[in-house]
Amino acid sequence: MTAVNEAKTTVTVTIDGKSIEARPGELLIKVAQDNGIYIPRFCWHERMKPVGMCRMCLVEVDGIRGFPPACTMPVSEAMVCHTDTDSVKAAQDGVLELLLINHPLDCPVCDRGGECPLQDTTLAFGPVESRFVEEKRHFEKPIAISDLVLLDRERCIQCARCTRFADEIAGDPLISFVDRGDHTQVLNFPDDPFSSYFSGNVVQICPVGALTAKPYRFKARPWDLATVETSCTTCAVHCRGAVQSSSNQIVRLLGVDSEPVNQGWLCDKGRFGYEHVHSAARVLTPRVGGREASWPQALDAAVAELKSAKNLHGGGAIAMIGGASGTNESAYAWARLTKGVIGTDNVDAQLGDGIAAEVVLGSDRAQISDLDNAAAIVLCAGDLKEELPVLFLRVKRAALELGVPLVDLSAAPHGLSKYVTHALGAAPGEQGLVAEQLASAIGGATPANETIAAATRSIGSREGNIVVILGRTSLAERDDTVVSAAAALGALPRVRFLSALRRSNVHGALEAGLAPGFLPGRVSLDSGRVHFTSNWGSVPAERGLGTEGILRACAEGKIHVLVLVGADPLADFPDRSLAKQALDTVGVVIAIDAFETPSNRRAKVFMPCTLWAEQGGTVTNLEGRVQRVSRKVSASGLALDDWRIASELAQRMGSDFDLETVDEITEEFSRVAPAWAGASTATIRNARDGVVLPFADHLGEVVFRRGGSSLDIEYSLSWEPIRADGDDVAVEASDVDETAEIDRTIATEDALTLFVWDRVVAPRSIPQRDAYALRVNVGRKLYDGGRIVAESPSLVGLKKAPTMLVSSADAARLGVLSGESVKATSSRGSITVELKAARGIAPGTASLGFSADGTGASELIDASVSVTDIRVETLR
Amino acid sequence: MGLAKGFGVTLRQMGKKKRVTVPYPEEKRAKPQRLHGRHVLNRYEDGMEKCIGCELCAGVCPAKCIYVRGGDNPPDNPVSPGERFGFTYEINYLRCIHCDLCVEACPTQAITETKLFEFSFANRQDAIYTKNELLVGDDGRAKRMPWEYWRGDEDDHTSAWMRATSSSGRSDYEGRVNWSGELGFGVRAPEDGQTVDSNIALAPTHATESHNGHNAKADH
Ligand code: SF4
Ligand code: SF4
Ligand code: SF4
Ligand code: SF4
Ligand code: FES
Repeated sequence: MTAVNEAKTTVTVTIDGKSIEARPGELLIKVAQDNGIYIPRFCWHERMKPVGMCRMCLVEVDGIRGFPPACTMPVSEAMVCHTDTDSVKAAQDGVLELLLINHPLDCPVCDRGGECPLQDTTLAFGPVESRFVEEKRHFEKPIAISDLVLLDRERCIQCARCTRFADEIAGDPLISFVDRGDHTQVLNFPDDPFSSYFSGNVVQICPVGALTAKPYRFKARPWDLATVETSCTTCAVHCRGAVQSSSNQIVRLLGVDSEPVNQGWLCDKGRFGYEHVHSAARVLTPRVGGREASWPQALDAAVAELKSAKNLHGGGAIAMIGGASGTNESAYAWARLTKGVIGTDNVDAQLGDGIAAEVVLGSDRAQISDLDNAAAIVLCAGDLKEELPVLFLRVKRAALELGVPLVDLSAAPHGLSKYVTHALGAAPGEQGLVAEQLASAIGGATPANETIAAATRSIGSREGNIVVILGRTSLAERDDTVVSAAAALGALPRVRFLSALRRSNVHGALEAGLAPGFLPGRVSLDSGRVHFTSNWGSVPAERGLGTEGILRACAEGKIHVLVLVGADPLADFPDRSLAKQALDTVGVVIAIDAFETPSNRRAKVFMPCTLWAEQGGTVTNLEGRVQRVSRKVSASGLALDDWRIASELAQRMGSDFDLETVDEITEEFSRVAPAWAGASTATIRNARDGVVLPFADHLGEVVFRRGGSSLDIEYSLSWEPIRADGDDVAVEASDVDETAEIDRTIATEDALTLFVWDRVVAPRSIPQRDAYALRVNVGRKLYDGGRIVAESPSLVGLKKAPTMLVSSADAARLGVLSGESVKATSSRGSITVELKAARGIAPGTASLGFSADGTGASELIDASVSVTDIRVETLR
Repeated sequence: MGLAKGFGVTLRQMGKKKRVTVPYPEEKRAKPQRLHGRHVLNRYEDGMEKCIGCELCAGVCPAKCIYVRGGDNPPDNPVSPGERFGFTYEINYLRCIHCDLCVEACPTQAITETKLFEFSFANRQDAIYTKNELLVGDDGRAKRMPWEYWRGDEDDHTSAWMRATSSSGRSDYEGRVNWSGELGFGVRAPEDGQTVDSNIALAPTHATESHNGHNAKADH
């Protein structure tokens, strides 16, 4: 990126007498800002196109008459600009006086008061006294433009930041200006609320208190907030954020502008989902046999069960599902407990709703920022808008703004459909097949059809990598279709994969070895055996089972103790009847969770754990970026961090981890895990944008924080991109960590190579669909019935009952009207669901949302068959 | 020798000058005009609370002894004018240094300090005055806590000097008494040394104009 810039020539401009080198075409306001000269502004936002609406940034430029706005003025050679002359001051004064004419000045009751750009700018640049004594314009005080956002039109200064965000960034143009003159106002369209998944961002960037967030309304004032930088772990993107609390209660999460990850934006589920941390439904004390117990009692009871199962039936009679919702450190502690102490490899952080760990860990990986200059982006995943919302924004931007071709393998319409350049029209379960056709066409074979030919041509005409976004395309299909797509595409030279697994810290958990056949740091059980045996004492003898296998073994009575670490198979496993059978049959369930769920309701031992913002440590996002998360509030009740529970259990099992703090675990993790080689705690603490795994390959990308390792944020401009400061120059490898070299030597001595997937896939056949059936595609929705939504009062109302979308041809054939309830039956079971005819659905297929409350689609899915066919009958 | 000399002074003074002590507490001396005592939360003449829960007082308090949380005013039965009201309001008198900065910061003159200082508590609970304890009663007068010792009209005067220097006032009050009427008192008269325009009626008036009194200020 920098190389391109350096190649261009620079221009020299003079701002307030200071001579400045800048790139031609850069905006004056930005050039000034980067050189320490602040030009006041309201409408200009670094991440959006300039509009010149508010006139706050007026400056004088020699040779130009009047006062041009600095936000729309590109710099040119020898430009001389003044920002602080008397006439500029008079102009600023006038603009502010005009803005304040109709401004209600209800600062004391305004949620922006105290951090308000209009207050601050007026104080710094504005008139001293108002000359306006007439009646101000009046609008009804806040009106709800969505379930989460309130609009006070009296306070709006018509900067169009919100409308531009909705249109340009989110692609949900649901708000716009109506009326003229002093009646100009922002409004949503009648009967059409601003129901964007990104609505919270407009609250953050509105330069006044016109847009406020319902969940934060009157909760606190800026001066009583304590702020610390962290990552959102609601999904696997791990957007940077600043979490704020007052009186030990989280009250707000702001987006922090991290160039490689979220560029300042958050989705609403992430922004407002903090509420679940303070839910009254949290389990606050350990329980044994359903009764409240002390921690020693609970730990002893759990260990008694684990020991007796191990002694009677061997370690393989114990299985663990989960570990994806905590930190890397927790995942590591659990991996060490299960694999090193209990001696079982029946461990899986995924709930049968992801893709095989081999594919995720063993393929060439892309970073999020690679999307921006990719040759093409191939979508082979679920609906990103629903599953990984801020990644959706990045893909949309790449396609729309940066002209990257979007090749789509999806079987159902999704949030990105309208930006797709080459829709390859794969049927449910056939993504693998179409991917093979695409791969062979890119490889030089004759394209199977015209769309593939077109896609191949446009990929061929561009430089850069082909980034394949790889996730579970449908919960109603086995992951083998995705795996075979990955195998076909992975064989091409320019292909890099961006994993689209969605659950929280699932990538951190996989990197920590919470998958069958793996050990921490991206090594397989076999190649890491010697190394980890010397570090841990022992590792399991042979490869164990994944979640589906574990549940099957539970149902067959082969597994006696099931440990659920923040996992709820009844809600999340695609095949509910298998999950139910497993939980009904298994002898003992030991649950580590913050909430009681249908899966852990009859747990023998329940141990309450802390949640996000109650625990510090590191997490790993979908590109393998390790970033720090912070503790902001104290643990609820008697809840303990997951890693502490694991290490207490280990001690009682007779194996002392000797790990007392999170830092000690990070230290041990980076010492023993090959992919972490070279990443010391200090490096991770000081890296502004985190560290991408495998660390040794990404040393050169590390940017150190200028202010040291503290994550405390002293921000004053939440309406402007909030940035953790850092030196933009990447450091030399030798500056990063002196032990980096040594660590890699240790790794080589043990002949530890990072796992590489061999791309061998079993041949698969897709059953023929009979003419009366519909082949169904099941995907996640953002506001599903999961814990975060269910326990956040502001989000719970946004959950919608899933509908089934079919083509209008099928609706007509079935004789049902759009909006009617129907009975859908698969070989597994049947459900009643509302049916809608929709465009973009191929005849013979259907699309259904997965509701993570254990009802609906999961009753139709049979985990053992590769696709799900249903029959639909009317209820009439 | 020294002893006799010392007592000599006492004897000479005896009966010579007027007595300066008073038999407190039966009798109390007039309090200085700017004495800062415990707070009250005022109400408008129509009974609405003046506090809007803005936390400015809490923000400015150097002893960090004020705890305020705002709430959404119920539209059908509002507690204060406008959208927001003071939902929680507490002052911890173990920490308050009676600087009156809260009074100066308050945009609605909701919080003022009386000249009541005689209170002694034996536990923290009593020392932390809650909103209900601080809020004036339906007669507009301070509520007397069991551990307070005052009587009669000792609560009549509150923070006039601070209100005059506050964001919506001027120190000499020339031309305009810029504070709103209060339940039970109406528009309070200025104190000694403050002036008032002759056309300002200090008789009780309705407080509507004053509800948004802070709108007129232009110091933004
Ligand atoms: S937007 Fe700013 S200036 Fe306007 S009322 Fe709110 S705090 Fe005051
Ligand atoms: S609501 Fe806020 S962001 Fe939108 S135009 Fe008005 S001032 Fe700008
Ligand atoms: S996209 Fe994911 S990580 Fe980002 S804010 Fe939303 S839920 Fe959080
Ligand atoms: S007393 Fe005044 S300053 Fe304090 S919260 Fe109430 S209105 Fe605001
Ligand atoms: S910032 Fe330039 S016109 Fe608004």
